[in-house]
Amino acid sequence: MPINRPRFVHGKILHNAGGGIFYRMEVALPDRIEFAPGQFAMVSGWPGNDPLLPRPLAIFRARGARGKGTVEFVYKVAGRGTALLSGLHEGDPIAATLPLGRGFEFGGEERTYWLLGGGVGFSTVFPAAVFLEQERSEFEMFLGARTRDQLPPRDWIPGGGLPGRVHPCTDDGTAGFFGTVTDAVRDRLDRLKTPERRRLMILACGPREMLRSVSSLALPLGIPVQASLENHMACGFGVCWGCVTEVREEGKTSYRRVCKEGPVFDAREVVW
Amino acid sequence: MTQAAVPDIRARVGEVLLKNPVMSASGTFGYGLEFTPFYDISLLGAIIVKGLSLEPTAGNAPPRIVETSAGMLNAIGLQNIGVERFVAEVAPRLADAGAAYAANIYGRTIEEYESVARRLSGVPSLIAIELNASCPNVKEGGIAFGSTPEGLYGLTRRVRAATGKPLWVKLSPNVGDIGAVARAAEEAGADAVTLINTIVGMAVDHRKRKPVLSNVTGGLSGPAIKPVALRMVWEACRSVKIPVIGIGGIQSAEDALEFLLVGAAAVQVGTANFRNPNACVEIVEGIRNFFIREKIARVDDYRGRLVL
Repeated sequence: MPINRPRFVHGKILHNAGGGIFYRMEVALPDRIEFAPGQFAMVSGWPGNDPLLPRPLAIFRARGARGKGTVEFVYKVAGRGTALLSGLHEGDPIAATLPLGRGFEFGGEERTYWLLGGGVGFSTVFPAAVFLEQERSEFEMFLGARTRDQLPPRDWIPGGGLPGRVHPCTDDGTAGFFGTVTDAVRDRLDRLKTPERRRLMILACGPREMLRSVSSLALPLGIPVQASLENHMACGFGVCWGCVTEVREEGKTSYRRVCKEGPVFDAREVVW
Repeated sequence: MTQAAVPDIRARVGEVLLKNPVMSASGTFGYGLEFTPFYDISLLGAIIVKGLSLEPTAGNAPPRIVETSAGMLNAIGLQNIGVERFVAEVAPRLADAGAAYAANIYGRTIEEYESVARRLSGVPSLIAIELNASCPNVKEGGIAFGSTPEGLYGLTRRVRAATGKPLWVKLSPNVGDIGAVARAAEEAGADAVTLINTIVGMAVDHRKRKPVLSNVTGGLSGPAIKPVALRMVWEACRSVKIPVIGIGGIQSAEDALEFLLVGAAAVQVGTANFRNPNACVEIVEGIRNFFIREKIARVDDYRGRLVL
């Protein structure tokens, strides 16, 4: 049975190595994972009770056959948990609950997708690119970083980063577009004709400020935005109610769980 | 030597006989159904569902949680779907799943507590009501009633009169004399006491010069609180005759056994569910295996047998 609904599994690290400021970890699992782009896992592996909680990581890639699978995660060292993960080696045990959350939604005829990844957010949108490539759907990618060294390694980019399809953006202008992802999107939108704009759908993951600014740019033009939010989580599967974000629906606001109703939200609903 | 038989790990909490001594703690297990992808929830001693109020409650603004050393602080603010929706939509599905479940309840006023208890009294499959007199994160979460023996006595007495269901009272550790508070619950007619709820704590961001949680303070849970919980459960067991349900930082079967040893009739597992969704069933198995290894026939042959 492929793992296609939440399960807690034990695995062993096959690789765990750096690529620029990021790490990429591949874990052998007892079965193949089926996941939707945008879904995530709660990952731990260090011994002992401190830190206590697993860390939410996007599912970057999954492969394998019946009874044997592998899953890959990409992460950046941001705190104690990811620092410990980065110190694990081949053969070390990993525990993971996966696949979790609601991923991106595709569909709609003749869509052109713009995939936006700010910082480590590319790890959430690359699986969407892989999917769209299989579907032969049109897409472009905008990848944002402070500076050149903080962009994802080129050989991690699905399809190798064909020119014209992948737009790196750096805050300091050291590579690609000089400015933020939102600036690049604005620039590109200005050069599109209305029928082309009508076909657009934006899938985005990155800092909250990037998601907010892209939404305030695209939504008034009628371009739908699916935003993958990040938050601290205790459980990752909807029982602690710790990761909520405020959403607006039918004029009323309420708190929804990033791990369960998200992490991908219709940007129109999010109270930024 | 005789072969060790399969041990009887059933646990008795007053008139309620549980399949085993392991319950999931309120607020860490949703409404129970969330765990059905992971395992058969009827394997648990009982599920204590998330605290229910008369009306649906929105909860606190984020940030609501922060990790601390070997633990975490939470200030969820009792976000829940309200007792009506629970009775209509969730309770039948828990019953269908064959789960033993109890409802944790809270109110802003004593009258609300009574109303929630009355509403649940008519749910046949519900095994008990757990009175939350100890949520530290909302003023109305019962802490106002639960922090003194007098306040707790008054609240428990009123809810006792409102329901014929077994009544378990969940106690706050944020009190001076846990024995006195437990005795107040007993005298007011509680069938059992559950302790401990979370310990009030605080986390501060020294750069931003702000508290991390929007609620400023939150409840500390996880392994960090286990020694405090164990001591309080031990004290409560010596203070009352009614069963004591032990909770606080339990991560493993060994932790659970320690609570049984100081006298707890059963235990609840909370924060461990976040790290490992299978924690509760793994603890059930661990207890069973320990009893087999040690040739312990039944829970009462081990429970309360702390050698002093």
